[in-house]
Amino acid sequence: MSAPEPVPAASAAAPAPADIVVEDVGRSFGAVQAVRSVRFTARAGEVTGLVGPNGSGKTTLLLMLATLLVPDRGTIRIGEHDPVTESAAVRATLGWMPDVLGSWANLTVRRSLVLTARLYGITGRAADDRAAELVELVDLAELADRPTRVLSRGQKQRMSLARALVHDPRVLLLDEPASGLDPGARIALRVLLRRLAAEGRTIVVSSHVLAELDELADRAVFLEAGSTVSADRVEAARVAERGWRIRALDAEGLREALRAQGIDADRIVAEPQGLVVPLAGDERAAELLAALVGAGIRVVSFAPAVGDLEHTFLDLNSDGEAAR
Amino acid sequence: MSWLGRMWTVASIELQQRVRGLAWYVLLGVFVVVVLLVTVFTTIATWNSDAPGAVLYSVIVYFVLLLGTLVTPALSGNAINGDRENGTLATTQVTLVSTAQLVLGKLLAAWITALGFLVAGLPFLLFALVIGGASVDTAIVSILVLALELGVVAAIGVGLSGLIRRPLFSVVATYLVVALLSVGTLIAFTLGGLVNQQEVTVENEYVDWEASSDEIDPQTGYPVELVCMTEEYTYTVPRFDTVWWMLAANPYVLLADAVPTHFDAYGNPDDLFGSLKYGVRQAQLPPTVGQSWSECDQLSSDGEYPTAEEVIASTVPSWAIGLLLNVLLAGALLVGAISRTHAPARRLAAGSRIA
Repeated sequence: MSAPEPVPAASAAAPAPADIVVEDVGRSFGAVQAVRSVRFTARAGEVTGLVGPNGSGKTTLLLMLATLLVPDRGTIRIGEHDPVTESAAVRATLGWMPDVLGSWANLTVRRSLVLTARLYGITGRAADDRAAELVELVDLAELADRPTRVLSRGQKQRMSLARALVHDPRVLLLDEPASGLDPGARIALRVLLRRLAAEGRTIVVSSHVLAELDELADRAVFLEAGSTVSADRVEAARVAERGWRIRALDAEGLREALRAQGIDADRIVAEPQGLVVPLAGDERAAELLAALVGAGIRVVSFAPAVGDLEHTFLDLNSDGEAAR
Repeated sequence: MSWLGRMWTVASIELQQRVRGLAWYVLLGVFVVVVLLVTVFTTIATWNSDAPGAVLYSVIVYFVLLLGTLVTPALSGNAINGDRENGTLATTQVTLVSTAQLVLGKLLAAWITALGFLVAGLPFLLFALVIGGASVDTAIVSILVLALELGVVAAIGVGLSGLIRRPLFSVVATYLVVALLSVGTLIAFTLGGLVNQQEVTVENEYVDWEASSDEIDPQTGYPVELVCMTEEYTYTVPRFDTVWWMLAANPYVLLADAVPTHFDAYGNPDDLFGSLKYGVRQAQLPPTVGQSWSECDQLSSDGEYPTAEEVIASTVPSWAIGLLLNVLLAGALLVGAISRTHAPARRLAAGSRIA
């Protein structure tokens, strides 16, 4: 994906920003309660991450947002519109990238995009121009005139993103957009989504790659067994004890100093990249670092062993396991 | 973009994505070769008749109907659920296309594909018109009904593909419905007529050769002194006249029934449509029951049978009802498919997924 050029807008005037407001939404399939009670707000100009284990209801929630599924209860507002009763208005402002990579296998990438544009009411030259812009944007120009069945998984993923952007939507729903992408394409996707958000779009991204979301999302919504995890629990999990990886020039000296700082020797784990020490909260970490440096330990790196989201996710998960 | 424009976009995606392909052209090529053979042999067989073109024309039209109804279910019977399996249905549904545009666009594509056979058969139909005998009104009406019937089969396939979750089952179900219409009605008609038999008792008069004189009238071939005896005879006749309406919805029958028939000097139909129409119309007539036969009464004639022309003129045309039933069935399945495919979906079939 070639990030630098601006996203070409189909309409010149900047439309009003569209927030997503989800209130106590639930949906079951027969006996299976896929989504129990989800509430969150995704603001225009921000990237909102949906985080949760498999089966926590992320995809079902996105289907309800994408006007494909009627919630059993609760309300959804996308830019003041109800996806159930005003689905046409919502569809006009919304781009959806599904987790399933379906494409018209016998059509070329360019043709697929032109026909999708027509389905959105963009016709003639405008549709051709838009398709040409998008194949450049997602870096598929070389494959634009090949049938989509020859695309690799990552290439299909990028085509799917282009298709979601065809009508220059104010709201973007992306279900696992980074899966199958190589590292370069991931970085390009991140840069692109940040720029789309900066233009005032509302972006909701679900992902398993939590390190990825850490760098991308402005805020995260945690889902667990079909419900949003309360802000209190998220905060508690965030500040809970977590592993910090510390590396020093003298590994043995570091171990001695850690013990001197009152850290249980049994809980220090030696990893190739350094020693991992459990610490509760940033305050404690800052104190320890100061103490180590004060003790003359030559510290090379001092950082959380896992990212913020991953840490919160894992901690919530272990809570969930314990609760069950 | 207009309502129809968006529907046409769906149809053109369908035509480019699903229908068009090497296999399709191979199939059309095979079809043309077969029709060519049929044309050659029918022309040779009917060359000495009054209207060789009339027979040929009706044979080709029936051939297009047969092949169209055999191929169309395979192309239309997975139009909607096939897209669902490929993950392209939901991405189409989140665009500004309505469910009606989506379903009708797919119907249009399937219909155009079926009409491809008609177009491939056109040169042969023109040849039949040129060699003479085929009437213009017959030609026009049969083509219109044929095109409509191909549309009905396409609609049945698209409708069932929206109502049944698995593509394989909906294709098979489409074939079953088409078989029900073309063969099932025929079986029901035959069985219905046979089950519903009527017992008929007739008194027949015979010449009692023992009792009559030995002298034979050389002119009549009967004894000079006739002694007659009567004999009661009981038998059953199938009452096809009570079940003839079962054939009304048969595509082949309604096509034949709808087409204006032309007769030769003896009142016989000059093409395949007419022959079939005559056969079906005959079933409307109750069997002539209780008609006694007498060997003695030399004045009694053998009875004059009505000609095909008279039978057709005296019976009820049923094609309009049959065609209406076909169109209603197709329409009901399409409406069902539209309501079942509607997004946002309230209800999902067990085990199905949206995207």
